[in-house]
Amino acid sequence: MLIQLDVMTETLTTSTAAGAVDAMKIYGTGDSEVRALDGVTVAFEAGKFTAIMGPSGSGKSTLMHCLAGLDSLTSGAVYIGNTYLAELNDKELTILRRTAVGFIFQAYNLVPTLNAYENITLPLLLGGASGDQGWIDKVIDAVGLGDRLKHRPSELSGGQQQRVAVARALASQPTIIFADEPTGNLDSRAGAEILEFMRRAVRDLGQTIVMVTHDPNAASYADRVIFLADGKVVDEMAEPTADLVLDRMKRFGD
Amino acid sequence: MFKLALKGILARKGRLLLTSLAVILGTSFLAGTFIFSDTLTKSFNDLFADVFDNTDAYVRSSVVIKGDFGQEERQRIPDSLTAEVAKVPGVKTAASSVLGFARVIGKDGKPVGKEGNGPPNFGSSITASGEAFWKISDGRLPVNDHEVALDTSTADKAGYTLGDTVKVVAQAGSRDFTLVGVARYGHASSPGGATFALFDLATAESYVGRPGFIDAVVATSDGSVSDAALANRIQAALPAASRTQTLTGAEITKENQTAIEKGLSFFTLFLTAFSLIAMGVACFVIYNVFSITAAQRQRENALLRAVGAQRAQVTRAMLLESVVVGIVGSLLGLIAGIGVSSALKGFLGALGVEFPSTSLQLLPRTIVLTIVLGTFVTVLSAILPALRTGRVSPLAAMRESAVENVGSSRKRILSGLIVAAVGAVGIIATIAGAPFFLLGLGVLLVWAAVLILGPVLALVAAKVIGTPVARAFKVTGKMAQGNASRNPKRTSRAAAPVLIGVALVTAVALLASTLKAQVREIFGKQFVGDYVVKTDDFSGFGGLSPDLADKINGLAEVDAAAGIGQKLARIDGKGGTITLVDPSTVGQVFDLHLTSGSYTDLSTSSMMVSDKTLKSDKLKLGDSLTIELTGLGSLPLKIVGTYSSDELAGKYVVNRGLYAKASGSYFDFSVFINTAPGVSGSQAVAAIKPLVDKYGNGELQSRSQYIDAQAAGVNQLLALIYGLLALSIVIAAVGIVITLLLSVYERRREIALLRAVGMTRTQVWFTVSWESVITSLLGAVLGVMLGLLTGFLLVLALKDQGITVFTIPVISTIVILVMSFIVGVLAAVIPARRATKVDIIGAIATT
Repeated sequence: MLIQLDVMTETLTTSTAAGAVDAMKIYGTGDSEVRALDGVTVAFEAGKFTAIMGPSGSGKSTLMHCLAGLDSLTSGAVYIGNTYLAELNDKELTILRRTAVGFIFQAYNLVPTLNAYENITLPLLLGGASGDQGWIDKVIDAVGLGDRLKHRPSELSGGQQQRVAVARALASQPTIIFADEPTGNLDSRAGAEILEFMRRAVRDLGQTIVMVTHDPNAASYADRVIFLADGKVVDEMAEPTADLVLDRMKRFGD
Repeated sequence: MFKLALKGILARKGRLLLTSLAVILGTSFLAGTFIFSDTLTKSFNDLFADVFDNTDAYVRSSVVIKGDFGQEERQRIPDSLTAEVAKVPGVKTAASSVLGFARVIGKDGKPVGKEGNGPPNFGSSITASGEAFWKISDGRLPVNDHEVALDTSTADKAGYTLGDTVKVVAQAGSRDFTLVGVARYGHASSPGGATFALFDLATAESYVGRPGFIDAVVATSDGSVSDAALANRIQAALPAASRTQTLTGAEITKENQTAIEKGLSFFTLFLTAFSLIAMGVACFVIYNVFSITAAQRQRENALLRAVGAQRAQVTRAMLLESVVVGIVGSLLGLIAGIGVSSALKGFLGALGVEFPSTSLQLLPRTIVLTIVLGTFVTVLSAILPALRTGRVSPLAAMRESAVENVGSSRKRILSGLIVAAVGAVGIIATIAGAPFFLLGLGVLLVWAAVLILGPVLALVAAKVIGTPVARAFKVTGKMAQGNASRNPKRTSRAAAPVLIGVALVTAVALLASTLKAQVREIFGKQFVGDYVVKTDDFSGFGGLSPDLADKINGLAEVDAAAGIGQKLARIDGKGGTITLVDPSTVGQVFDLHLTSGSYTDLSTSSMMVSDKTLKSDKLKLGDSLTIELTGLGSLPLKIVGTYSSDELAGKYVVNRGLYAKASGSYFDFSVFINTAPGVSGSQAVAAIKPLVDKYGNGELQSRSQYIDAQAAGVNQLLALIYGLLALSIVIAAVGIVITLLLSVYERRREIALLRAVGMTRTQVWFTVSWESVITSLLGAVLGVMLGLLTGFLLVLALKDQGITVFTIPVISTIVILVMSFIVGVLAAVIPARRATKVDIIGAIATT
C-alpha cells in the first residue's frame, strides 16, 4: 500500500493539487458507529474549480475538513501537494494551512478588529511574511475592494465581506483553496458575484478551488462536480450546468 | 420565571463557579479576620481565666501613669504589705509577686523572643504559695540568688535543660543562673508567646525589680467570706498611705481580658479595613462578570422577551441569579475563611508572635455577617447589569453576535472631567489652607473621575501600550491591541481592580520612602557618634540594663557612651513620655540642637523642653513643671534649656540620674558611643563587642549601619501592608482571568477562524497574553499615577507632623509596573490555554 502511494505521488504531483486515498472517518463505536467517510479516493486537479455535492450527512463537509487539515482521518490518507497530512504535528499542520491552503467559510470569515487589508493579508501576517505585493494588488484589484481597504468588517456589506474572504484565501497563493458554502449567507446577486470571481481566480489567475455546496446553481460555476452519498463518491460530472446537477441531485431523494 | 432562572443557573455550573470565585475571594478574608480575632480573644480569655483561677484577691498600687497611646505603668508597692494581707481574717495564703523585664539569652548567645512589638520578656517571682500562677512541671523551685526556673517553651527554644547555666539580662545587669526548674503557666507552656525567667522572691526583687518592692500581693481565701467581701476587708486593713487597691479574682481576670481585647481590637480593625478594601475590589470583578455574561446572554434574554417575558421578569431572573451566586460564594468564602485564619496565624507566627492555642471560633455573628455582606455586595454589583438586561429589545434575538453597549463617550468624558475638576478644586483649596476633609473628598473625587473615564482611558492605553507591542510582535500584538480596545468598558472594568490595588500600594510606598528618607535625615542630623548598641524596645518596659552604658563608658577606647531611655511620666498632671539622658556624655554623641542652656545644666531637679512645647504650652525658661514618675512621686523640675530637634527626644528631656532612687524600672533603649581620638574602628569594636556580648540583648552597629537599620525599620511595617494589599492584587488578577475566560468564550469563532487560516497555538497564546498585559498595565499605570498623587497629598497633610522630605519611590514604582506585567502574563495562562484548545470545526467550519 505504502509503495503504491509513493508511486501515485510521483505521477500525481504534476497535475494534482490535493486528494484523498481510501479515506475513512468513523465516529463512535459499535451500534452508534457512523461512517462519515467510507473509503473515499479522490484527486483534485491543479488549476481547476471542483464542486463537492451531496445530501446532508453525505460526508462532504467532513471530506473537506480532512483535506484541509482541520480534522484527521480514521484510516487512509489525504495529501496537499507533496505532503501527507498524517505525518504533520499540530504546528506543522497550522503552517501548512497558512501557506498552502486558503479558506472561505459560509460566515464569520473575518476578524472584526482588523481592517479589510489586514484581513486579506492575515495568513501572510501570521507567517511574518510580506508576500508578493504585486500579486496582492492584483487580487485586491480583481475583487474590486480598492477603496474599502481601511474599513473594518462591520462597515462592509455581506457581499463585500465575502469578497474580502476570497481575497484573503488567494493572498498567499496557496496550493488549494477550500470554500464551504461560500454563498450560503448571501443574496443571489452577491452570491453570483462571488462565484464569478472564484471562477475567474481559477481561469485567469490559475488557482485551484474546491467548493462544498448544496446549491446546484453554485455548482454550475465549477469545472467538475463530485457527488458524495453515505460517505462514498457515487458520481461525478464534468462541465456541469445547474439543470444537470439538479437532476442528479433529485435522484438522491429516490 | 423563578423556575426558569434556577434552571438557567444550574445549567451553567461553570459560569456560576466563575462568578462565585470573586465573591469567595472577597468574603474569605473578612470571614478569616473574624474567625482569627475571635479565636485569639477566646484563647486569651481562657488563659487569664486559667491563670487567675486560684486568685481570690489581688492587691496592687493605685498609682498608675498612662501614656499618650494608652500604655500604662503602675507603681510598685512595699513587700511588707504581703505580711499585712496574710493577717487579714479570711485570707488563707498571701504571696508576693514581682513582674519586670528580664531577657533569657539562649545557648547560641542570642536573646530568646522578640523585642519591641513582640510578646514581652518577663522576669518574675515564683514561690511555694505563688503556685497559683506557676506550676513547676519539672525540677524544683529556685530558692537562692543563683537559681532560675524558665517557662516550658522558653526552655525548649533556648535549648536549656535542668542543670544548665542560663544567662539572664535584667535591669540590674547580666548574670548567670543555674536552671533548676521548668514551669507551666496555668495550662499553657508560655502565656501568649511571652518569655519568663522565674526567681525566688528576694532575687526577683533585687535583680528584676527594686529591693523591698513588689508588683502585687496575690491572696487566696479560706472560703469563709465572699471574694468581694474579702477584697474590701483587705483594702480596709491596709494603711491608706500605701495607696493600694484590692481587686477580686474575677475583677483582675476581667481587667486582663478587657485589656487584651482592646489591644486586639486595633489589630482586628486593621485587618477588617483590608478585608473591606478586598471586598470593594471584588465588587468591580463581580460587576464586570455580570455585565459580560448579560451581554453574552443577550440573545437568550431577547428570545425570552420575544415570547412574552416582561422586562421586570428578565431583570428579576438575573437578580435572583446574583442572590444564588452571592449565597454560594459567601458560604464557600466562609469555608475559605477558616484557611485564611490559619494563614494569618502562621503569618504572625513567622513574625514571632505566638498565641495560646484553642479551638477555632466560628461564631454565628461571623456566619451571618459574611453571608449577608457577601450576598448584599453581589446583588448590589448585579443591579446595573440586571437593569440593562431588562432593557434588551426582543429584536436582539435575531442579531448575529453579542454586542455590549459601549455608551456615549462624549457624555462620559464630560462628566468625568467635571468630577475631576471638582476634586482638583478641593485639593488645591486644601493646599491653599482649607480644612483637611476637603483633601480627602478631593482625592476621592479624582479617583472616581479616573474610574468614570476608565473606558476612554482604556482606548488611550490600548493605543499607547498596544502600539509598541503591535510593532514588536506584529500580528499577535496587533490582535491584542484590537481586542483590548474593542470593548473599552470591559477592559477598563477589568483594569479597575488592578488600579485600586496598585494605587494603594503606590501611595503606601511613597509614604514609606518619604518616612525612610525622613528617618535617615533625622538620625543623620542628630546622631553624631560613631557606634550604637541598640535594641528595638522603645516602650520603656525593657531594653538595655543602665549598667551597660556605664561599663562602656569605662573603656579606654571610648570617649563617651550615652545611654538614652524613655519613660512614662505625668507632666503637670498629664500623661506623657519623657526622655532620660546622661548629661555628662549625651552632648558628645547626640545633637538635639540646643537653642538655650547646655546639657551640663541638667541636674536631678531640672529639665529641658522642646521649642515647640515651650511655645504651645506658653512656658519660659526658669518655669517649673511637676513631673510624676512611678516610685518617685511628684517632683518640681526647673526648665533650664530648650532644643529644636524633637523628633527623637520628644517634648521633655530629663537627667537619667533621677531613676537611681526610683522603685520603678529603668532601661536604655540604646547606648550611643563616641570613640576616643586615635582609636580605629576595629580597635573600638574589639573593645566594645565583648561587653555587648556579655549582656546579650543589644546589637553593636556602626553609625552607617545604625542609620540604615533605622530606615529599614519602616520596611517591616511596609511588608505587613504589602502582604495585605497583595490580596487585592490577587482578586484583581482573578478578575482579569475571569474577564479573559469570558472573552475567549465569546470570541471562540474568531479564534477558530484564526487557527484555520494559520495562527499557531503559540500565536494564540501570545494574543491572549498581550491583551491581559495591556489590561493589567492600564490599571497599573493609572494606579501608579493616582497612588503618587494620593501619597503626595498624604505627605502634604502630614507636614505638621514634621515630615519635610518628599521622596518618590522610584524602585518601588518600577517593581510595581514589572509586577503588573507579570500578573498580566500569569492571569492569561488559563484563558490562553482555553483559547488554544478551541475546537476549530465545532466553532466555525460547521454550516
